[in-house]
This record gives sequence, structure tokens and C-alpha cells, in this order.
Amino acid sequence: MNEPLLIQARALHKTYRLGKVDVPVLRGADFSMRPGEWVAILGSSGSGKSTLLHLLGLLEEADSTSGEMWFEGKPVSGLHGAARNHYRNQCVGFVFQFYHLLPELNVLENALLPCKISAGLGWPAARSAARARTMDLLHRFGLSDRLLHRPRELSGGERQRVAIARALANQPRLLLADEPTGNLDARTGGEILDRIASLHRDGLSIAMVTHDPAVAARADRIVHLIDGVVQG
Amino acid sequence: MYAIQLANRYLTSRIIPLIAVGAVALCVALVVIVVSVMSGFLDMLKSSGRTLMGDVVINYPVRGMPWYDDLVREIETMPEAAAASPLVDTYGLLRMPYPQGADKEVVTANVWGIEPASFERVTDYSTTLYWKPPASEADAAAMAVDDPRLQLNSQHEKNGLSLTQAGTNEPGMVMGMHVSIVNERQRDGTYRSRYGWFMPDQQVTLTLVPISGKGTVAEPRERLFPVVNEFRSGVYQIDKNRVLIPLAEAQRLLRLDQGTLYDMEAPPNADGSQPVLGVSPPRVHRILARAKPGITADALRAAVEIAYERFFEKEMADGTRVVKPPRRDLISILTWEQHLRDLIGPVEKEREMMRILFSIVYLVCAGLVLSIFWAIVQEKSRDIGILRSIGASRTAVLWIFLQYGLVIGAVGGAIGVGLGWLVICNINSIHDAIGADAPPWTWMAAFGMGSLSLVMALRGSFRGILLPTLLWLVTAMTLGLVGCGLLAHRGTLIWDPAVYYFSSIPSQIDWLTAGITWIGAVVFSVLGASVPAAKAADIDPVRALRYE
Repeated sequence: MNEPLLIQARALHKTYRLGKVDVPVLRGADFSMRPGEWVAILGSSGSGKSTLLHLLGLLEEADSTSGEMWFEGKPVSGLHGAARNHYRNQCVGFVFQFYHLLPELNVLENALLPCKISAGLGWPAARSAARARTMDLLHRFGLSDRLLHRPRELSGGERQRVAIARALANQPRLLLADEPTGNLDARTGGEILDRIASLHRDGLSIAMVTHDPAVAARADRIVHLIDGVVQG
Repeated sequence: MYAIQLANRYLTSRIIPLIAVGAVALCVALVVIVVSVMSGFLDMLKSSGRTLMGDVVINYPVRGMPWYDDLVREIETMPEAAAASPLVDTYGLLRMPYPQGADKEVVTANVWGIEPASFERVTDYSTTLYWKPPASEADAAAMAVDDPRLQLNSQHEKNGLSLTQAGTNEPGMVMGMHVSIVNERQRDGTYRSRYGWFMPDQQVTLTLVPISGKGTVAEPRERLFPVVNEFRSGVYQIDKNRVLIPLAEAQRLLRLDQGTLYDMEAPPNADGSQPVLGVSPPRVHRILARAKPGITADALRAAVEIAYERFFEKEMADGTRVVKPPRRDLISILTWEQHLRDLIGPVEKEREMMRILFSIVYLVCAGLVLSIFWAIVQEKSRDIGILRSIGASRTAVLWIFLQYGLVIGAVGGAIGVGLGWLVICNINSIHDAIGADAPPWTWMAAFGMGSLSLVMALRGSFRGILLPTLLWLVTAMTLGLVGCGLLAHRGTLIWDPAVYYFSSIPSQIDWLTAGITWIGAVVFSVLGASVPAAKAADIDPVRALRYE
């Protein structure tokens, strides 16, 4: 238990305002995981599991008076602006249910996007290393022959593999996956889970949101999100 | 770097940006064409004004200025002055040689009596002489085969420069190109003689009415002048009205030549004649002066003021001269711009007004880009969410859309400037085409393409597809109307030289205006893009990604 935590969140609250009504989604959620761990966050639809994932990835902010969050022991809940962007670019990688690839870019360009964002004007210097790393990832995901294809020319499974490659392009310590198989048939979804399991075996930490107990079962640990509170 | 890549992909992968580029291009072309024509018109007015009267004009109309040779010499001693030339300016009647028979046409004319040599030094008058042979073989090759100038030798030019008829040494007249009705302007700007009359072979009778120093009209005097050449200044009002004759002849006809001055109030001499007071010197109405290169008209005007003061003091001190020059406050010394102020001022104001009015198109650019980008940002909000989720900053998102606007403004503006340049360079050809009947192939082509569109519309209707059917139908109707318009077109004179002074439309692009308009298009396109760009930067990534 003395091993440092990769990420820790304490007493997270999140309330959405729908018209004139406040709808609390997270009501003091606690969450933590160790480096190299694969944690499944299981909950029914609307239970707030995606919201928790977004808060862990600093994609949105928790209610201003609530909770705290640490990543590798450092507080991150108070980060703003460039530091927040840097966290999303370097520390975590997102995978979404609907892949969310940019339709104007091909496979390689989509996968290279995080590297280009982090390199900024230094991209010409960083280009060859980033390209080699990303090509390696795409090759590992069986996409070597699809590099120049646009997302609309790919199957659902291939799109999700590109999305995972993009999430890992900057070698983040934590992969945040939001229903990564939710839009795929069972066989393809199984293949994606196999890929994620493979990454986990290589030491990647994964927080995965799902409503499917069978998918959650692939993880090291399952936590339940019930009424905005993490249980288990 | 990714922002440039994305802006580039957004630009090249859809049609809406192309519509924005096209709209910006048309707006810019509109401003460039209108302001260039106005600026060209103003430049032509100014350069013609300067060519026609030098840099500075000294005026003393009606009575005329005595001892003008001394004043000319005084001006020419000034370091600012290159040359000066005396001039008689009056109106007269011209009896033309046409038509055949006794009942000849009579027209009014503005008559300038000039000293050809000094007038040439002040105004480059020789460049305006029309009837002269081509200067080089290349010029000859460029002329149409039926151009009468190809048959001329240099005698007409020499006659025009000296205002005398070779052989007889008779004083001659050079007429403005449109004073007679026999010169017919062709589309290429050259002239052909109509009805078999070639004016440099003809003679005209000029009648002038002398006006006494008391302002009374004396007996009109007339003289037959051989027409030795014709000039074309480019200013229609001048080419339509002005004729040039030798100064001495003008002075003689107007009784401004040298005479004897009698004392009419003294008792008569024994032989009944009045005692002689002295010599009444010849007089002129104007002196034109030209500045040396690098000297402004204003600087020359100041120098001429000094020259006149000196001249006046010398003449007043000379006791041998009975006739004295007019006081400074009775004459006017003006630069050519001041002299033409009544003409140039309104045109300058019109141009500025046009510039301001047409600058409203900048707002059109901004509005177009804003509305198009607003739609694009709505459509691309998910992409923006994706970019934010992988670490893109708000500034980067803002920059993507600002670059987008920048490129649309820059490319659209450049195309607009190019389009404006093309139209301006060919504006006289376009005008001539509008002024003539449409060639049959144009309306036949319009009807042909219209029929084809109708067939396509019918095909679409049989297949039950509404949008293509409607589009083809609209195209067919438009082409049909264009064809009918072309068929009925019988030529419209838009640029009437009688109204616009010049016989051709200015065809020089105003590059300063073009540059400013291009910059304006870029700035306002970026401004138009800035609102949707700020909206894009403010998009909540979670909200953008939540719904599929």
C-alpha cells in the first residue's frame, strides 16, 4: 500500500445545469489507481462515469468548491490554461466510444496530431522521431497499409485502433477509455479489448468506463459508480 | 504547424470557402475597377491639363498684355523656368470646306494664336500632332493597312510644327481632331476620313471679332487658312473646339498687333492728323511657362511672381514706353492645377466619394466571411472538441480559424486585384463590345447551352430528382434570357466622350488603391473570421464530444 498512486481524486462533485434545474452527477466521488493498473469504472447509463473520466483527464472542471486531484503525487485540480493543455497532451490519452478522428486528415496525420500539438513550432526538429514512434504504433495495430486512408474509408475497428494509436502517440502514463467497444460488434470489440490488454501487459495504466460487466471483467479491478459515488 | 495543416484541409476539402473566396474577389475587383477608372480619369485630366498649358499660366484676357517678349525673357531667366510662350486666346467662327456647294458649314472654335517653337518647348505640342508618318518600321507594322498615315511623308508634320504651308509659306491652321466632322474614330483609336474629305488638304475661313480696350466690338476680320495638320490632345472638349494659328496672324485679326498710338485729346496737326504719342506694342492674353525637371508648379509660380514684379518695375521705370503693363492685381498667375481647379476639384471629390462608398464592400467581405465561418464552426465543433481533448489550446483553435480568414482574404483579394487588372486593361475593348451588336455566335452559344440545360432538367425530372432538375431549369432559363438579351442587343454607348472629356476610358490600374483594397480585404476577412474563431475557441470540448 506504500506504492505511490498514479492518480488520485478525492470528493469530486459535478453538477450540470439543465435549464433552471441543477442536476448533480457526481456527489463526492473518490477514485485512485496505481501505476500499471487497469481499472474498469462500471455504471449504468447516466451514472456519471464519463463525467468522472473527463474530470480525471482535465477535459472539464469539477464544481469549484469540490474535491482535489493528484497525478503522480502532484496536485492537478488547480491547473489552468497551458498547464491543463499540457496535462491532456502528455500525461493522459483519451479514447472515445465514437472514435472522434478528424475526417480531413488521414490515418497517419490523425495519429500524429498530439505530437504536432506538443512540438508546436519545433515540429520540423521533432518530426522524424515522432513519425517513427507513431508509425511503429500503427504497425503494431495492424494499420501499416492504411496510413494514407481517410477515416471514412476505415471500418469501425480500424477507426478505434487509430484512435488508440493517437491517444498513445505522446507516450502518456494513463489511457482514459470511454466505452471503447460501445460502438463495435462483439467480435471487433473483443479485438479492441485484446489490444488494450496487450498495452496493459506492457505496463500502460488504463482507466476504462463501461456499462458492460463482461467488458469490465477484462480489467484488473472494477469500481462501481452508483448515484454519483464510487463504490468498491 | 497542425493549425496550418488543418486550415489548409478545411479550405481545400469543401466548396463554401471557395464561395467566400469568389465573393471577396468580386468585391475587391469592383473597388479596384471603379477607383482605377476614376483615378485614371483624374490623371488623364491632370496630365492633359499640364500638356496643354505647361505648369504656370499668366492671364490677362481681352485687352492683352503688352511687352510680353520682355516678360517671357524675364521668366526664362528664372532658374526654375525651362521655357515660356505667349498666347492669344479667343473665340471665332470657322467656315468649313464641306459640304459641296455654296452652303458651307460654320462652327465656333476656340482659337489659340501661338509661337510654334516656344509653344512646343512649353507643351510638347508636337506629340499631339496626328497626321504624321509612323516613326519606325515597328510602328508601321502595328498600324492597320488602311491607316492613311502610312501614305504620309513628314511634310504634314513639319507644316504642323511650323504652322505654315510648305511651298507657299502661307500661315496655316492646325485643328483639333474633332473640330471637323470628317474624322471618324475607329475602335483602335485611329481615324479615317469620311465623305472623301481629308482636312490637311483643305482650307477653312476663320473670322475673329476684335474687341477694343474700351470693351466695344470692332469690325470682324477674316482670313483663309490652309489646314496643315490636326492634333489630338485626348481631351474631347479641346479636340472638339480648339484650333491653332500663328500668333502674329491672331494678333493681326484681333488688332492686338503693333500699332501707332495717337493723342486723341490733343489738337490735330497741320495735316489734320492727330499727334503721335508712341508705339502701341503687340499684345497677348496669356503666357504659359514650363518648369525645369524637378521643379514643382508651385515653385515656378512663385518664381514667375518675382519675374513679373521685376518686369513691371522695369517697364514702369522706362520713360520711352508710353504703354505700361497691367498692375499685378489685374492679372492672374496660376499653376495649371489652379487654372483647372473647377474641372479637377469635383472629379477628385467624386473619386473620394466613390472610394468611401465602395469601401462598404469591405463590410460585405467581413459579413460574408463571418456567416460562412459561423456555419463552418457549427459544423466543426466536434473537431474542435477533439483537438482540445488532445491538448490543443484555445489560442491554437482561434488561430486555425483566423488563418482560414486570412487565406480567404489574401487569396480572394489577390484574385480580385487580378480580375480588376484584366478588366481595366481591356476596358475599352469591353466597352466597344458593349457598344456594338452582339456577334451571332454569342447568342447562338447561349441558346445552345440553354437547350442542353433544358434537356438535363427533363432528364432529372424523369429520374424524379428535384434539386438537379431545378438547378438545370434555372440554368436553362438564365441562358435563354441571356441569349434573348444578346440577340436584342443593338449596342449601348456608355462612355460618351462628349460627357467624359476623354475619347477613351482610362485603362491604367491604380496599384496604390489595388494594394490598399487587398489589405482591406485581408483585414476585414480576418475581422469577419474573428467572431466565429472566438466562438470556436470557447467551445466546451465535452459538450462538443458528447453528442454524435
